[in-house]
Amino acid sequence: MVSLARKTLIHEWRRFLPATLAVGFSTLLQLLQAALVLGIFGGAAVYINDSSADIWIGYPGTQAIDLGRAIDGDVASLLDMNHEVTRVEPFYLLDGDWRGGHGTGGVSVYISGISTQPGGMMFARVLTPVLRAKLTYPESVIVDPADLTKLGVKVGGTAAINGHLVRVVATAPGLRALGGVDILASLQTARLLDSSAGEAGGPTYLVARLRHPANAGRVVADLNGHTGFGRYHAWTAPQFARRSVLFWLFNTGAGAGVLFLAVVVFAVGAIITSQALVAAVAASVNEYATLNALGVGRRQLRWVVLEQAFWVGACGVILASVLAGLLIWLAQSENVPVAVSVPVLSACLVLVMVLVGISGLMAMRTLRRADPATLLR
Amino acid sequence: MPELVPPLPSSATLVAQNIAKSFASGRLTTPVLSNLSVSIDAGELTLISGPSGCGKSTLLSILSGLQTPDAGHVMALSESLQTMDSHRREAFRLHHTGFVFQGFNLFPALTAREQVRLPLQYLDLSSQEIDRRTDESLEEVGIAHRHHLRPAELSGGEKQRVAIARALAKLPALLFADEPTSALDAASGQVIIDLLHRIARAHGTTVLCVSHDPRLISHADRVLTMEDGRILNDSRQLTPHRPQDRRASC
Repeated sequence: MVSLARKTLIHEWRRFLPATLAVGFSTLLQLLQAALVLGIFGGAAVYINDSSADIWIGYPGTQAIDLGRAIDGDVASLLDMNHEVTRVEPFYLLDGDWRGGHGTGGVSVYISGISTQPGGMMFARVLTPVLRAKLTYPESVIVDPADLTKLGVKVGGTAAINGHLVRVVATAPGLRALGGVDILASLQTARLLDSSAGEAGGPTYLVARLRHPANAGRVVADLNGHTGFGRYHAWTAPQFARRSVLFWLFNTGAGAGVLFLAVVVFAVGAIITSQALVAAVAASVNEYATLNALGVGRRQLRWVVLEQAFWVGACGVILASVLAGLLIWLAQSENVPVAVSVPVLSACLVLVMVLVGISGLMAMRTLRRADPATLLR
Repeated sequence: MPELVPPLPSSATLVAQNIAKSFASGRLTTPVLSNLSVSIDAGELTLISGPSGCGKSTLLSILSGLQTPDAGHVMALSESLQTMDSHRREAFRLHHTGFVFQGFNLFPALTAREQVRLPLQYLDLSSQEIDRRTDESLEEVGIAHRHHLRPAELSGGEKQRVAIARALAKLPALLFADEPTSALDAASGQVIIDLLHRIARAHGTTVLCVSHDPRLISHADRVLTMEDGRILNDSRQLTPHRPQDRRASC
């Protein structure tokens, strides 16, 4: 079987190189952008993703985790009554004003008040049991090592939050949040640092572990069906993480910027690719016309152009995937916030192939010029 | 190629009746063919000659189904080309017609063998049959030893022979050639016209050739002389210059 598309692509590779590179760079930009978006906006859900809780209880209508309000602590008794629930922890998420000295002025921070009991759910993926135990000392806090400079403090150093003295007892990588600095403290320390203490008094969230995590959806529905325990709403951990990320992505303007850039990258890729394919078809228009004169239908000729587009796309995508893999690895090793999600990256690749298909369809129009009657002089 | 068949008895395979064609350019309409009737027989090489602009290429494109006339009818192999839609006409061309153009029109990326195989892939043939027809066509036009070369590595005469092999491999009943020797030197042109003549005789193919090259007249079985969209003279040569017995080489 002679594949005209493939043979032409190999023989005239210089002609197709701009299109392949255009597809490649479009793909690379999309993949890196997706990885950065996942990495940066994933920070909005760092509290959820770094914890091992299956269920989150918060104030009704909370749009993102950092926008939580205090809830009634009595909801804990409702959780205790549920047979699926094996463990419940309160979680305080408070605003704070950090004064670290060394000319850093004031820094807005989020204070996370978490359980220091062994096996605690909050930040279970970041804190080792030893680190968690260190928080039991009053006024102890843990920060991300990357935030030390910003906070103007070193491990073992002291600073003030909301006018109260705290001591940095350790660092834990993976705490960097979107839009602020995360400070981990014990529940007791957090309550001490709470500038609005006495207003509501309850935790910002309650988190729970289930006997069978797969039943989280059913348990959440069950919890949300109760009344009489104050104002609260329950989410599964993935639901709440998604809610937080989407809020940051679409309601802050940053998401709109990212989407706009994606559209521009796609448009540029599509234009360059289609122009290269159009030029390739135009260069062989007499040969296509001859095939049509010999009875090869226009539909079959269009398939040749589409096949050409497909191979251009496949080469570009493979090239970009290899480069993206290398760059993401490099970014991760340099603490740049990037994250890989197979469904999202697959969607990027599918979108690129759709772009290539559209370019092929645009190039097909050139085949109209392949009229065999024009070959007769 | 398949076994040689004796020339068919004189029978018209292409018949045009009262065809007319004109082209419009802005408000100006230029008649190219007017009330032209002609019938072309199988098994011989018919040459349409005449000066540039006399309408010979337009007549070829109408007789081959590449264009439709403004008036009149064309019957090809007893089928009316006018009643076919474009898909049917493509299918008709696929199964029954071959074309050879002045400009060769070979794909730069394909070897001679692949150029010949390509159109055969669109016929429902087994790969063995495609291979057999490809080899026999290349052999018949005398280019089998150059089958692995791309157009850039072939001379003009060799390219035209590959183009003829591409048309011939489909075993067409009708073979149309438009100025097949115009881009070639005298020796190569001689080889090409001999080849077309031999194909008509050996396969019983209706070969219709358009050319203003006077050297070809002596090689044709029949010469139609055109001027101003009309056939002025229709002469049959009883002893045209016989195709040379040797295989083509140039």
